[in-house]
Amino acid sequence: MLQTIIPLLVDALANAALIFFVAVGLTLVFSVLRILNVAHGSLYSIGAYVAASVGLWIVAAGLPEWLTFPALLLSAAFVALLFGPLIEKTLVRWTYDKSEAVQVLVTFGLFLILEDLQRMVFGVQSVYQDTPMSLLGISQIGGIVYLNYQLLLIALAIVVLIALKVFIAYSRTGKLLAAVVADREVSQAMGIDTGKMFVIAFTIGVFLAALGGALATPTSGVSPGLGAETMVLAFAVAAVGGLGQVEGAALASIIVAMAKVLAIYFAPALDAVAPYLVMLVVLIVRPYGLFGSGATRRI
Amino acid sequence: MQHFRLKALAVAATALTTLATSAMAQDKPESLDIGVFTFLSGPAAAYGMPGRQGAEIMIEQINADGGIGGVPVSATFVDEAQGAEGVISEYRRLAEGEADFMIAALSSGNCLALAPIADQLQMPTVGWNCDTHQLFKESHDYFYRPNGNTIAEFMAYTLYFLDENPDVKRVAIINPDYSFGHDAAEIVKATLKAVKPETEVVAELFPKLGSSSYQTEISRLAAARPDVIFSNLWGGDLENFIRQAQPRGIFAQSKTVLALGETVLQRSNLPEGVIVGVLGDGWWRSPDAEQIGQAGEFAATYNAKFGEDPVFPAVKMANAFLVMKAAYEKALETTGGTWPTHEQVAGALEGLSIETLTGEMSFREDNDGIVDQIVGTTTMVEGIDYPVLGNMVRYDGAALLPPLGEDPLGWIGTLSPSIFDELPDPGSYK
Amino acid sequence: MTRFHIILATGLVAMVLAPLVFPSIQFVLTIAMAKGFAALGVALLLRAGLISLGHAMFFAAGAYGAAFLATRLGVTDILLILLLSTVLATVVGLIVGMFLVRYRAIFFAMLNLAVSMVAYSLVSKFYGITGGTDGIGVPVPTVFGAVLDKAAFDNLLYYLALVLVVVVGVFVHRYLHSPLGHALSAVHTNEVRLEYLGVSAWSALLVGYGISAALAGLGGAIAATSIGHVLPEYAFWTESGHFVLTAVLGGIAGIAGPLLGSIFLEVVHTAAVGYFAEAWNMIVGITLLVVIFFLPRGLFGLVEKLSGIKDHQGEPKL
Repeated sequence: MLQTIIPLLVDALANAALIFFVAVGLTLVFSVLRILNVAHGSLYSIGAYVAASVGLWIVAAGLPEWLTFPALLLSAAFVALLFGPLIEKTLVRWTYDKSEAVQVLVTFGLFLILEDLQRMVFGVQSVYQDTPMSLLGISQIGGIVYLNYQLLLIALAIVVLIALKVFIAYSRTGKLLAAVVADREVSQAMGIDTGKMFVIAFTIGVFLAALGGALATPTSGVSPGLGAETMVLAFAVAAVGGLGQVEGAALASIIVAMAKVLAIYFAPALDAVAPYLVMLVVLIVRPYGLFGSGATRRI
Repeated sequence: MQHFRLKALAVAATALTTLATSAMAQDKPESLDIGVFTFLSGPAAAYGMPGRQGAEIMIEQINADGGIGGVPVSATFVDEAQGAEGVISEYRRLAEGEADFMIAALSSGNCLALAPIADQLQMPTVGWNCDTHQLFKESHDYFYRPNGNTIAEFMAYTLYFLDENPDVKRVAIINPDYSFGHDAAEIVKATLKAVKPETEVVAELFPKLGSSSYQTEISRLAAARPDVIFSNLWGGDLENFIRQAQPRGIFAQSKTVLALGETVLQRSNLPEGVIVGVLGDGWWRSPDAEQIGQAGEFAATYNAKFGEDPVFPAVKMANAFLVMKAAYEKALETTGGTWPTHEQVAGALEGLSIETLTGEMSFREDNDGIVDQIVGTTTMVEGIDYPVLGNMVRYDGAALLPPLGEDPLGWIGTLSPSIFDELPDPGSYK
Repeated sequence: MTRFHIILATGLVAMVLAPLVFPSIQFVLTIAMAKGFAALGVALLLRAGLISLGHAMFFAAGAYGAAFLATRLGVTDILLILLLSTVLATVVGLIVGMFLVRYRAIFFAMLNLAVSMVAYSLVSKFYGITGGTDGIGVPVPTVFGAVLDKAAFDNLLYYLALVLVVVVGVFVHRYLHSPLGHALSAVHTNEVRLEYLGVSAWSALLVGYGISAALAGLGGAIAATSIGHVLPEYAFWTESGHFVLTAVLGGIAGIAGPLLGSIFLEVVHTAAVGYFAEAWNMIVGITLLVVIFFLPRGLFGLVEKLSGIKDHQGEPKL
């Protein structure tokens, strides 16, 4: 019995870790900016492409292979600093006083542009970069061989979750962000530069998306279409957790990953349906997600 | 007045006849426009691009030799990765525009979608790669497939494996989630049931075509401890699977049969001892290919241009071009040199039988091509820096195909273990 | 006859003549009209301030309905196929709508997305019933018992779709100018006041949702019979996104808007194929942003300018 359960758990957590990075970025941006960024998935795949390209370059240039680890992180930071402020200041900022329809459409337009941009820059063939995975080796858990890299991902996800909580609760910027989330008008009246807060929050969101993509590359190839696939999964997880809820995203990642893993083990026909079925069931019972609450109607 | 009317009528009649004859006789066009459908982007492009490159080499060769019936060939490439809706729209756009002939498509799903449309638009079409045996369940007049189908292919892999490993008990299957994957799984299971009934299928997985991660599937395969894993994953999916499965010890744990394994031999370091196939006879290094003597030149040109050796999709594409060329030449013979209509080209394809780069191909009554099946095991040999097929067998294509009109899976059910007595043994093809 | 009517009539005549002058454009225009119906459905909800990121599921319901009718249930007549598929999509729409029209803003968008992705993955996964990702082929339907070849049927379907555009257009126009239709836009401007007037926002929206699903379903059925094949990707979220995009591009103020947007996109796509195939999404994305930023009333806004319509009071906005 234990022989079955342990691998199941490890698989679920490894899956959850990867999903968590994208979903938490999406949900964080929503909580501060009140905008659902449909282009979030594209930033994930751009992160993946950049990280894979940098990794391949490091190996090709004959640099020490361990450099591919910091390269994952730096690639994500690079994507965040390049795209975060740029997108927020040119496009997203303009939609704050517009309806949801306009906000969704503007980011959808951005999604379309970014998808083709990736094809132009990175080509259409799959890219593989698995040096970090092969450097770390393997472990046996419950009689099954796992990659140590998968276990590292689980640890990293926990670190990111804690770091985010600590950042929001204790740092000055974090507290200001929390104030903006709680009440935008009042915090503005109190002298908080909400515009700056929006740039910061959006850039962190992009960073998390790109990091998710970068961290996924050592165990999977990158190819066109990845962004669109990732987007819906991130959506599903963010919705299950409750849009804007960081802990919600963490719990939802585990639930959705568990559902997917259970499906692959016991009902392989349902593996692709599992995340969305979970989403549907949760949303029927709790339409605003596990941790979320609906906004009040305006008069 | 009367006279004037008559004259007008005569003029009109002459004009009409001129129009009609020009439409009938079909002057030689300036170029023979074909649509070539393959995967050019996404994970499947790892398999689709060699197809395109094979097509480019063939077009250069054909045009250098003066074209087909003196008409140069020019191709429009269509990316199948845009999804079947886009593929169908492109096919229609090309067919209603300039195109004279289609080489479409790579994916079984797309062939299933295009075959009825080929009939509707009366566009002679050759399915250059797709394999599903469901394609000719309904008869098609304009769609031909010079390939053989999933029945012969997956019976060949299963029989080869069983011949080598008679003690197998636990079987796992991991195939992509569409007709090709599901068909192959059914055939493997039916063959096992007929000739080795005591086997048990311990895992049957169908990941989505184009999945990027197989980690959970790999855990599942590891947990199931199968003696053998059958897979017809292909393209980038196959590369991804191998890259993820190898460090996790899957190839050490279970014998593995990769139906389309030949395509990734140059790209991923597959260990020795993996059973791989080429979906037919399209291996350019095979003894028959050497004897025919054209594949070597094709491979050399290919390598010079693209920096790697051709894999079997490139060879299949080349063979599809040879089929098209033969059909046009046959049609031109029948028409006595006037350019053939679409109908005449389709008619020429019927029952066509040719020597390809790698063997014999002949169309059956249902437009399905009969080709031999080559299966081998990865082996390192001197002088080649990647593993190639060793311990090979070449099964006669006709022997592994159900008689016309018979339900394929039902036919497999009638086989018995005595089939091994009639088939050549692994290692017999040298 | 106002100038606006003259422009509409000219547009119609152009549509009637287009395939006679450029035969190869007929298929493109048929698909444009099919998707135009779906975009019109999305536009109805946009008038109520609701953005649906899941309407592709009703398009797919209509398409799969047509495929099942033609292949499994022996219904071969084109009119029956279109009618029954539309009814099917409407029923699905009403059932889904009963749950979803309670929600507003981003939650409405997301719940639609959720349901449509469940539909998408179920259709992709139930290989035995739906053909999985291979989809189902749709044979050429008959017309009043007559068996046509594909070319003749395509001609007929084109003009049938054009007639339907006019008939459905008039119907939707009537609906929008009925009390129920006005209630739809009132949900956007002030929902609470609407309820004080004694109108149930829920039922007004449910009717609107049902009609929009019906329109998407009709579009799906036309697309299925024209393309001759149905696939799960009809229900994928990006397809839903494209319907919203088409509606906004065309403009949601008038019924002709979404249709105009759809024809514009398909024709430009056809022209761009071969030259800008690699950058097609980028072109659409940039066009969308330009329209949102500079042409808030969409292409239809241009038509209004041409017709000299200036009074936009009380009209729906995004």
